Amino acid sequence: MQIRRRDFLKATGGGAAAAAVLRGRAWAQAKPIRIGYTLSATGPYSVGAGITQGTGYALWLEQVNAKGGLAVKGEGRRPVEYVTIDDRSEIETAVRFYEKLMGDDKVDLILPPWGTAMNFAVAPVANKYGYPMIGPTVSSNKLKELSFPYFYAILQQPDACMGAFTSFLKELKGQGKVSKVGVAYVNDLFGIEMHSSLTATLKDTGLEIVDTKSYPLGVKDLSPVLKGFKAAGADVFLGLTYPPDNILAASQAKEVDFNPPVYLAAVGTAFPFYRDRFKGAEGVSGIAGWNPKMKYPGAREYYEAHVKKHQKEPDRWASAFAYGSLQILERCVGEVGLDRKKIKEMLDATEFQTVAGPIKFAKGVNVTTPGMVGQWQKGEFEIIWPRALATAPVIIPKPAWA
Amino acid sequence: MSASLLFDILVTGLITGGIYALVALGLNLQYGLMRVLNVAHGEFLMLGAYVTYSLHTDWGANPLLTLLVTGPAAFVAGLVLHRLLYARVLAQAEAREAIESRSLLLSFGLLFVLQNTALLVWSADLQGYSYLAIPLRVLGAVFPANRVLAAVVALALSVAFYVYLRRSLVGKAIRALMEEPEGAQLVGVNLTRLHGICFGLGVAMAAVTGSLISMLFELTPFVGLPYTVTALVVVILGGLGNVAGSLLAALLLGVVETVGVYFASSDIRLISSYAVLSLILILKPAGLFGR
Amino acid sequence: MAASRVLLAAVALALLAAPWLVTGYQRSLLLAILADIALAVSWAFFSGPTRYLSLATGAFFGAGAYATAVVGGRLAWPLPVLAGAAVGGAMALVVGALALRLRGPYFAVFTFGLAELAKHTLIWYETRVTGTVGRLLLSPPGPWTLYYTVLALAGLAVATALLLRRSRWGYALVGIGEDEERALTLGIDTTRVKIGTFALSAAFMGAVGAAMAPRWTYLDPQVFNPLVSFQTVIMALVGGATTVVGPALGAAFLGLVSELFLLRFRYVYMLALGLTLIAVVVAFPSGLAGIGRRAPRERQG
Repeated sequence: MQIRRRDFLKATGGGAAAAAVLRGRAWAQAKPIRIGYTLSATGPYSVGAGITQGTGYALWLEQVNAKGGLAVKGEGRRPVEYVTIDDRSEIETAVRFYEKLMGDDKVDLILPPWGTAMNFAVAPVANKYGYPMIGPTVSSNKLKELSFPYFYAILQQPDACMGAFTSFLKELKGQGKVSKVGVAYVNDLFGIEMHSSLTATLKDTGLEIVDTKSYPLGVKDLSPVLKGFKAAGADVFLGLTYPPDNILAASQAKEVDFNPPVYLAAVGTAFPFYRDRFKGAEGVSGIAGWNPKMKYPGAREYYEAHVKKHQKEPDRWASAFAYGSLQILERCVGEVGLDRKKIKEMLDATEFQTVAGPIKFAKGVNVTTPGMVGQWQKGEFEIIWPRALATAPVIIPKPAWA
Repeated sequence: MSASLLFDILVTGLITGGIYALVALGLNLQYGLMRVLNVAHGEFLMLGAYVTYSLHTDWGANPLLTLLVTGPAAFVAGLVLHRLLYARVLAQAEAREAIESRSLLLSFGLLFVLQNTALLVWSADLQGYSYLAIPLRVLGAVFPANRVLAAVVALALSVAFYVYLRRSLVGKAIRALMEEPEGAQLVGVNLTRLHGICFGLGVAMAAVTGSLISMLFELTPFVGLPYTVTALVVVILGGLGNVAGSLLAALLLGVVETVGVYFASSDIRLISSYAVLSLILILKPAGLFGR
Repeated sequence: MAASRVLLAAVALALLAAPWLVTGYQRSLLLAILADIALAVSWAFFSGPTRYLSLATGAFFGAGAYATAVVGGRLAWPLPVLAGAAVGGAMALVVGALALRLRGPYFAVFTFGLAELAKHTLIWYETRVTGTVGRLLLSPPGPWTLYYTVLALAGLAVATALLLRRSRWGYALVGIGEDEERALTLGIDTTRVKIGTFALSAAFMGAVGAAMAPRWTYLDPQVFNPLVSFQTVIMALVGGATTVVGPALGAAFLGLVSELFLLRFRYVYMLALGLTLIAVVVAFPSGLAGIGRRAPRERQG
């Protein structure tokens, strides 16, 4: 159905119409800012990519263009458009498209792909072309070995996450509430790194690790592991798990009647669909980073805008950091313009305020956000550790599976 | 090792194997009978799973009842696909290897089409539901009720099909074609029609297995390929074209994997299944029961 | 045939002169397609004439990539590529020897199974024994070095295919494909021919894997990807596995088409690719290389 210009002008009244035409003309004159990235829409990475990064990127775009565009120092607002392709969860494809975006298309800015492996592959390319890249889904001890000045990791790293788990459990041990831990971990990059970050520190707490089992990606049955933990009397389940195995673990724990007082499942637990899948998942804990109750500027508004646009909640870990990374870029562009070298210098030197809290980078890693432990309580993933940031007290023992 | 543990391992293995049996049977009908290498087999499983998921979560249908929908619908879809695509390509092929390679290409294309369709309809988000996720206590061991149910239904259908093969006229014709292709045609067995039926049955079995496993695992449009691979392994292990063989091979594989997982760790599951496959093929190049 | 020779020469020249002709992205695309050509052509050394469908490409490719992961930091280029070739070839000797008595589908699934076995064993070894998880390649060779390496591999693969075809070894392969028993009675050492060709093909695949690995910076056992096995077979078959140029055509065609679809279709590119594949098989059952020729005489029996 075509609305003819005449009718449109008539309907909205002259003044508003004139304003619209004027802004339209100004809009048409302002050269759009092009931001490029690839995101896995197909293949194994697509689940995480869609939940964590895709939603935040889309939300930010809508919001910034509603304001008239991204404010560029000295140029006023310019509309933003994304140049984006599905990388099919293929590293080679992602690398090639980033070469295209930066080398051929010469976009103004880039955003990262999803996942540690992809970010590792793309980081050297971004570095070579001098495009700052802030990764919200990179977490690996191997970051310390890299030196890519233009690459930043905004999410908490394995040492921080496991440090939080360990100190949380240490405190519970001190209160006499737990003593035996069963550790299960997925044997791919993140699981193995979390495991090695964990084991050294866990023994210092005085806790007894009664059993450690690793399992492959795509595992179909964790009941032997869970039954083993139960038989060994574990009162803490420490799963260094990922979706979908973290879902399998919880589902099978109920089936084999394993309900330890503390149930920790690292990744994917912070996703709202996990809560919904397990009828509230009351008492289940995992790696946390954010929830809408935290007193950060814009946190509540971000939550509400996300729900309004996507008809679903943001996840309680990396989503807010993905959005936060865009807020950081927004501030940089506003203060130093689109000169990527200047943006990098600002990234190195500034403390930013985002919906995920204050963020400061040192040698390319976010050093402000501590590792946190969260727990589902009455529909919210409350921060239960560290105390300073806690939004609710710990529930222990974990209630029965719903 | 206690009797209770032994029982636990055995039954868990049979549960795993039971599910493998049905999905492998479907592939055996296609690969064993027609040399049609349908790498999209797992995608039909995925679609069956999604349909059951949707029927259950949107309309509250009992997952088991949805089999009455996914089974027949998949059978018809298989008949149509065979008629539209495979029959033509098969007719042109001059040698068995050509059938295999061309059906591989066709199926690969179909795989992409089916995955994209699922992506458009259900999105890439993880979807799943909980059904009968309660413990079943038998003789001192605990088993997940939904897994037991899925395995029992899968095994029942597999055995029923095996009986069908032995008793019914169509079944006899299928067996005849599998064992003695020239002779069968000489006595008037209509090759194309029977191929269509077998292809359709194969697709139906995949879809029904999908409906059953939707009770147990989360779904994305990309869960299909590992099941295709398992089905291939079982079919080869048991001997191509041998229905009873693949039934037994499925159960054997299930038990071997479970033993590995119990005594070593879950990492070993895949190592043990492929090691068993390799070992058996080295010793018996036509599979356990193949000729 | 002079026309096709000229065309071939022109293409070769363009590929050699690429640095002066293409952008960074186009070079990467060429790189990916050349790698696929090398894989498909070398796959067809063995699987083309003998009709033994090998699904082990992913394993050899992955082994080569892992070879670079392990020695890439310490050896000067192109030694890691040679290491990849050596590893691929050695693996194939073992696989080939074990698979001697297997035919058709059994061979296919066996090769697939061994590939997966290698991958999971490596994962197990890395997690349990070495405790490392993946390796970082921090000073890879420059993009043009990688390009010329892969171009060389593709060229070498094509040359090898041509030489093989006209050699006694090549005739033996065809004989094995037509009637293996008869070939035996004719005095052909089928064991040596089969294993040797299989290993040669795998050496190329390992070399390609080793050459591509530096592009990914982080390498872990996930480089053993079964999809590579299927994709290589698809490319060779689409082009026509029994000719020399067929697999190369198939790889180039599918590489370009899928890139085009990826760039153009946001939500339906897999659908488009799948339909294209189906259309090609239905329209050109003998492969793209058969277009313009009369139906090639497929072997009897």
